[in-house]
Amino acid sequence: MNNVRLRVCAVSAAALMGLTACGGGTDVEAADLTASPEYEGTLSILTKFGGDPLSPYFEDLAAEYSSMHPEVDFDIIQETDQSIKDKTKTLVASSALPDIYFSWTGDYADKFIEGGLATDLTSVLSPDSEWGGTFGAASLDAFAKDGKYFAVPLYNNGKFIGYNKAIFEAAGVAVPTTFEEMVAACSELEAQGVEPLAFGNKDGWPGLHFLQQLFAYNVPQDVLEKDFVPATASWDHPGYVKSLEEFQTVVQECTITGSDSNGVLYSTAQQAQSAGQAAMYFQEILEFDSVVTESSAIKAEDFGIFALPAPEGAEGDPAALEGSPEGMMVNARSPRQALAVDFLKFVTSKTNAETLAGAPYSQPSTIVGAVSESTASPAVVEGVTRLNEASYLLGWLDAVTVPDVADAWLAGGEALVSGSETPEEVLSNVRAASDSAE
Amino acid sequence: MSAPLRTAPSRTDAAPLPLHPVEAGARRRRRSRGWAWVAPALLVLGVFVYLPLLQNLQYSVMEWDIYAGGSSFVGLANYEKLAGDPVFWRALFNNAAYAAVSLICQVFGALILAALVEGLRSERWRRALRAVYFVPSAISLTVAGLLFYFIYEPELGILNALLRGVGLESLTQAWLGQEGTAIWAVIAMSQWQGFGYSTLLFAIAIQRIPQDLFDAAALDGVGPIRRFFQVTVPLTREMTGLMIIVTLSGAFQVFNEVMVMTSGGPNNSSQVLVTWLYRMGFGRNDFGYAAAIATVIFVLTLGIALLQLAITRKRRVEW
Amino acid sequence: MVSRSSVVGVVLRTFIASFLLALAVVVIYPLLWMVMNGFKTNSELFGNPFALPVQLTWDNYAKAWNRGVSSYLMTSILVTVTATIATVFISAWAAYGLTRMQIPFSRTVLALILGGLMLAPAVALIPLVRMFQALGLYNTFWALLILYVAFRIPFTTFLIRAYMVDLPLEIDEAAAVDGASKARAFWSIVLPMCKPILVSSVILNILFTWNEYLFAMVFTSGGDLQTLPIGLTNLMSKHGTEYPVVFAGMTIAAVPVILLFFLTQKYFVRGLADGVGK
Repeated sequence: MNNVRLRVCAVSAAALMGLTACGGGTDVEAADLTASPEYEGTLSILTKFGGDPLSPYFEDLAAEYSSMHPEVDFDIIQETDQSIKDKTKTLVASSALPDIYFSWTGDYADKFIEGGLATDLTSVLSPDSEWGGTFGAASLDAFAKDGKYFAVPLYNNGKFIGYNKAIFEAAGVAVPTTFEEMVAACSELEAQGVEPLAFGNKDGWPGLHFLQQLFAYNVPQDVLEKDFVPATASWDHPGYVKSLEEFQTVVQECTITGSDSNGVLYSTAQQAQSAGQAAMYFQEILEFDSVVTESSAIKAEDFGIFALPAPEGAEGDPAALEGSPEGMMVNARSPRQALAVDFLKFVTSKTNAETLAGAPYSQPSTIVGAVSESTASPAVVEGVTRLNEASYLLGWLDAVTVPDVADAWLAGGEALVSGSETPEEVLSNVRAASDSAE
Repeated sequence: MSAPLRTAPSRTDAAPLPLHPVEAGARRRRRSRGWAWVAPALLVLGVFVYLPLLQNLQYSVMEWDIYAGGSSFVGLANYEKLAGDPVFWRALFNNAAYAAVSLICQVFGALILAALVEGLRSERWRRALRAVYFVPSAISLTVAGLLFYFIYEPELGILNALLRGVGLESLTQAWLGQEGTAIWAVIAMSQWQGFGYSTLLFAIAIQRIPQDLFDAAALDGVGPIRRFFQVTVPLTREMTGLMIIVTLSGAFQVFNEVMVMTSGGPNNSSQVLVTWLYRMGFGRNDFGYAAAIATVIFVLTLGIALLQLAITRKRRVEW
Repeated sequence: MVSRSSVVGVVLRTFIASFLLALAVVVIYPLLWMVMNGFKTNSELFGNPFALPVQLTWDNYAKAWNRGVSSYLMTSILVTVTATIATVFISAWAAYGLTRMQIPFSRTVLALILGGLMLAPAVALIPLVRMFQALGLYNTFWALLILYVAFRIPFTTFLIRAYMVDLPLEIDEAAAVDGASKARAFWSIVLPMCKPILVSSVILNILFTWNEYLFAMVFTSGGDLQTLPIGLTNLMSKHGTEYPVVFAGMTIAAVPVILLFFLTQKYFVRGLADGVGK
């Protein structure tokens, strides 16, 4: 059947009718995911685990799975945070989306669900099912839509300020509890010749992470969720301008690169903390064990974390955190859905989840009990605990909004860093992008 | 490889030619057999170059959803959107800036440089310098782009370190991180990468000028600078014309170095047409809009090529 | 008077020589810096950017090699070799037809083939993605091979044709007298005579394919299919903090083409002179 479609498409392309969307419409018969799969064929996977130290994770699991089921091969495409979005779109556009593929939550996941590319996994993954019951419920819900479950959450992620306890102590600076205290601490550190906060915004998204956490503090949750959807968005809550101004304050008061930060790679900033130079660096849980390594200047006992402190009197939720689970979807057009599900069950088994949580991967697995003092570093355990305690998890700004709006924020964040646009101008560009995306 | 190799339109060949004597002589031979010779090239070009070109025009008046797979006719909506998109105009400006700087450095600068090199007495030095200048053109734009990314890097880059070293501390900045400097820093890298290529071509053209002409001018008491304008410039005119077209056309197709060095940022200040096309297509799923941008690139590059054809044809008539 | 002008001449000549040498330094130094940084440690790199590496260890080069550069290199070599051979043969074949055969609508044919010179690859990008998807060629070796051949035929045909036009017709006629077919005359007589321009074409195509970025980026999606230019940007994003490894990878990518250029400089320059320089 697949072959026929290909042939028809080839003919139509040659006949100048390339637009008739060969990728669309045709559905593979809904597979019975509860049945045991046929263990044969090549399973393709798109991961976000490209590079060190993550890339061996899926490769090792695939090899192990193949040794259990010799008829199953793997074709693994490993991308990075930076490259996965564009690559995924290229794959979708060319109907080459792998059987199993990475997804964030929010609009990013909705696109796959609405486009009929995400298999409904409810029958095997609902919280009351055998498999679903092994996951933290909040992680599963983050990918749910209309009561259906579409993705296997693999790990939780959240954003925290990692700080160097030794530097803080030497400078006589306490862990700040409010945003204002943090800014004051920055001045204190800088006065003593220490780089307060390392920041590299070359790719744009590091700035968005500050913005989204500040939005969570300054804008009520219901307003935020309304603004993420173009049809209901107005982006006019005063908390936005306040957040943008606070972000500018961070850039100017806390970083030594200031308005030059757009020219610095996030990895250079990470390196600055790793080398024991920067007192603070705003980072994902996933980065903790890249900052603190055996060869890094900063030692594990000197590494602490705290949530970006909320401004005093903020109108939103001071206990909300920026973060979301990240997971894998099963291609609804794949003829090997049952096999894909079986492999994902294998990936999320308690043993393999603990491997994921432990060194060198250090990804906070969503499987209940997988992240513990015995498997993960203290900072990772603390991060996961705090995520679980958070009153509300707000996904990444560039994943929860539609691409046009995400792009407007990306450009706007860079403009705020370089100082070329005012917060009001940035917001008005975002509104325009949101209106045109409606 | 740099643009000239990719797009060099020929002065003599792209224009309809009078039949070559050889071809005329062969007229009586069997005609149909000839197709077998050109068929492979025509087939490949037809299917993979000309067909997509036509399809692009069609795509630019459509809108489609890559996730769901549907598409619809939207008329000129994508072009209207284009006209009102400030980033598109910014990209167009950046391409024009690219073209202007490249014309100055890689055409006129390279011509002067080639004349200087060819004016050296030692053949060994001439050859060595030509080769050295060419080396950046042999390495890819990706390598050159990454290399200059680090050279411009505010912390570990040698440009800022150099400026600090000579007491120009005040000029140090994040060259690729500032909206005002990003595209210029990319353009500067591109000149470093490409000037040796055009210098080499001009050197070849200068070598073709008969030495008597220089000697005669020198005997007449014409100084080296006037010799350059009276002999070198007019007699390399064809190469200059070719290089102008090639440089202009290449400047509107820039992609690699911008992608590697800035991805169009910060705040879209260094977007060029092709990076914006890529961003709109593969970043925002707006393939219809991306196709409209592609059409603009098509019109620009074709326009430049036709302009060249018109000029060379006129010149041939003059002769 | 004479002595004054000769003094001016000497000063001018010294000035020009210094300028030319300075320019050579501007070209060479960044390249040397790249090679040297491949030998440094991260802290050396972040320390004094001008400093020489403390010791010449090949660690970073080995790391780069093991982190994918070996595979990118193999892919690049494979794509470059096959695309170059295919392009040059198809083009030489077409150039022979264009110069030695009477073809109906020959002007149109010529214009169609050489007209490809004017077209920007980016313009065809979006439709090509969909076409290759429909043909099931997306993310295959064939995608790159076909695209590199298709977009290089016009320039290569142009080069070879310009050379063949100048070959005397008598050779062909002599071959015809000997009873050789056109195809045999092409293979055994004309093609060998075109050797200089063929060598130049091969070199120019190698340089192009080795360094191509746009198609390689859009039409491959990982695995063993990525060529060096794409692989290097991956190396950068995946191992971001280990910049010396990135420098080592860049050096590995740059060295083969620089060597090729120096080894074949004579042919290269002559090819340009014969083809483009006319």
